[in-house]
Amino acid sequence: MAAIAKAPARPARAGRGVRTRDGWWAGLFLAPQVAFLLVFLVVPLGYAVYLSLVQWDGFGPKTFVGLGNFTAQLTDADFLRAVWNTAKLALITVPVGLVLAVLIAAGLAGIKGSGFYRVLYFMPVVTSSVAVALIWQVILADDDNGVLNSTLRRLGLDGPDWLGDPGWVIVAIAIVTIWSSLGLNVVIFLAGLQTIPPQIVEAARIDGASSARIFRSITLPMLSPTIFFSTVVAVISSFQAFDQIYVLVNPAHNEGARTIVYQVYKLGFKDFQFGMSSAAALILLVLTLLVTLVQFAAQKRFVHYDS
Amino acid sequence: MKRAIALLALMATTAATAACSGSGGGAAPGAAGDDQVVLRWSTWGTADDIKLYDGFTRDFEKRHPNIKLKLESVSDYADYHPKLFTQLTSKTAPDVFFVGDDNIGKFVSSGVLTPLEGLLAGPDSKSRPEDFFEGIYGGAKKDGRIYGVPNDTNPEVLWFDKKALKEAGIGENPADLYAAGQWTMDKYLDMNARLKAAGKAGSIFWNWYGSTYSVINGFGGKVWDGGRFVATTDANARKALQTLAKGYLDKTFLSADVLPESNSASTRFLKHDAGFYAGGRWVIDSLRKGGELDDYDIVPFPSPDGKPMPGAVAASYMAINKDAKNAKAAFTFLTEFVSKEGQLLRLKGGGAVPSIKGAEQVVLDGYPQHAQTFLDVRDTGFANYPDEVAVPGLTAAINDELLKVWTGKVPFDRGMTELQKTVDGMTG
Repeated sequence: MAAIAKAPARPARAGRGVRTRDGWWAGLFLAPQVAFLLVFLVVPLGYAVYLSLVQWDGFGPKTFVGLGNFTAQLTDADFLRAVWNTAKLALITVPVGLVLAVLIAAGLAGIKGSGFYRVLYFMPVVTSSVAVALIWQVILADDDNGVLNSTLRRLGLDGPDWLGDPGWVIVAIAIVTIWSSLGLNVVIFLAGLQTIPPQIVEAARIDGASSARIFRSITLPMLSPTIFFSTVVAVISSFQAFDQIYVLVNPAHNEGARTIVYQVYKLGFKDFQFGMSSAAALILLVLTLLVTLVQFAAQKRFVHYDS
Repeated sequence: MKRAIALLALMATTAATAACSGSGGGAAPGAAGDDQVVLRWSTWGTADDIKLYDGFTRDFEKRHPNIKLKLESVSDYADYHPKLFTQLTSKTAPDVFFVGDDNIGKFVSSGVLTPLEGLLAGPDSKSRPEDFFEGIYGGAKKDGRIYGVPNDTNPEVLWFDKKALKEAGIGENPADLYAAGQWTMDKYLDMNARLKAAGKAGSIFWNWYGSTYSVINGFGGKVWDGGRFVATTDANARKALQTLAKGYLDKTFLSADVLPESNSASTRFLKHDAGFYAGGRWVIDSLRKGGELDDYDIVPFPSPDGKPMPGAVAASYMAINKDAKNAKAAFTFLTEFVSKEGQLLRLKGGGAVPSIKGAEQVVLDGYPQHAQTFLDVRDTGFANYPDEVAVPGLTAAINDELLKVWTGKVPFDRGMTELQKTVDGMTG
């Protein structure tokens, strides 16, 4: 009886030993990443939270102000304008960019020699954002050198001052953002399209479904997890837009181009108000989290994970 | 045995690595190698601007073979101070650096700059404190201590286009009127109105304190008084700002900041589309590139009664990092850079006006006709107000608020209220 009782204990001990060894190895391999996260994410985030509660100019003593920096930012016209500008940018770039990417990917999936077009669409993604901004500066300039407005003038149309008019600048930024991120979304959607079993599409065709019906009833629902992923990523990157805008326009001279990240940069490194800057950065973090949570809540209704 | 071999291998690898890094020839920033000091210094400027320092650098390194200068430049002025600030906080800033007049107050109050008055007055100095004009120390001087030396200056004057004035039926020469004590704000505004009537712009201004505060002075107004910003409440200052706002809206005045690049301020001035263009000695470079030099001359900003008055002087300062690794070499470089000889070498042919006494001949090279005006404005002029430059971002915020008024985005009265609110908010 005792022997029988001991018998199953051996594999259990051996299993624990394996698990312990695996655990050690896993810990060893994960340690650098955990250390990296701690040093470059958790510690700075903690420090940002601390800084958001103080008044500090970068050199002198820090004065505790509680939530004062947050209330100051949330009632500051410049910050609220930056939030609105950021929201406008996301509202234009996310739907327009994704719809274009889905349509292009669906088109490319059905043609021969699509590799050439994939490379073509992907090229802006691997181009430096500064170079992209400089090229678009020339295209969008409202003078004799401005390619777009010169062309419009030849057609008898009067184009707006894309980069100078605060009312139009977000549209200009959105155009550049969509252009430079389109390739990445197209590639993601092409990968998503390849996961759709061809026999389902084939069966629908045999049943007489049109291409539009197949796209609406099969492609889109089965692509919805990819669309959801791309939407989340696109919203986050719109919220974090900065470098391209900074080079393309000059947010200091055009209030229409001031996004939240620019405001964070300005408060910290131009006005030397690190408490305010950290508070603005944390508000951005909370906004991003909230929007992402809403997206995750909404996905239950629109995203189909079953085939 | 194995352990001993491993140790030896490690020692060999370490020695080889050290030898490799040594063979690269680049000493660590600021470190001495073969008794040579690598002195890091920084400034802003385009590639063309930076080239102007080549002559001085070659000359300096020839005379000081133990000092190797390493320039770390930033092309855009707007990006320069954030970078310098970050370097200072992380203790990686250069030994010597330029600081703009709108940021010097912040750096002084932060205690990151080496006080220079003792060194400047000492035996190794090539540029004594009294060699620089008092008015242009601006925010670099605090409580009798000097934290930055003006490396050069750019007095704000009015360039005028004789041809444009003539085409507008204006026979009087502003420089002659100034010499006769008749260069008044009324006379100047009358000329602007006549230029406008002739289909030209009266004046082109950059939206910065040099132009705006010079016009306020020309109306007899005050900008700062007793540590308080009074430009929106002082009657004369407000009248000046209102005149500017009205002029911008009816196109008597043009804001250079919002002109398209293809029809920029310089282009408009070269095309004789404007009578006056407020700027410094740097305008010479634009005129040389495409203008008939004889068509242009300069005059100070007008005063209420025709008597000379202090004008605005753009300045930047050279300072030494308090944590400079090579303080002695840093001062040697600084004092020679700002010395008479240094400025004569750097400022030949245009660009700026020397900040030191005794280097005037570089300006008096025959162009423009009344080049002495640059020196007169510099000698009696003022750098931006210490109360303003002590608050980081304040000058930029004031300019932003004013630009909204100049471009008509905000009505004048509301603009003044918002301007005062902004200043009060930032000055506490």
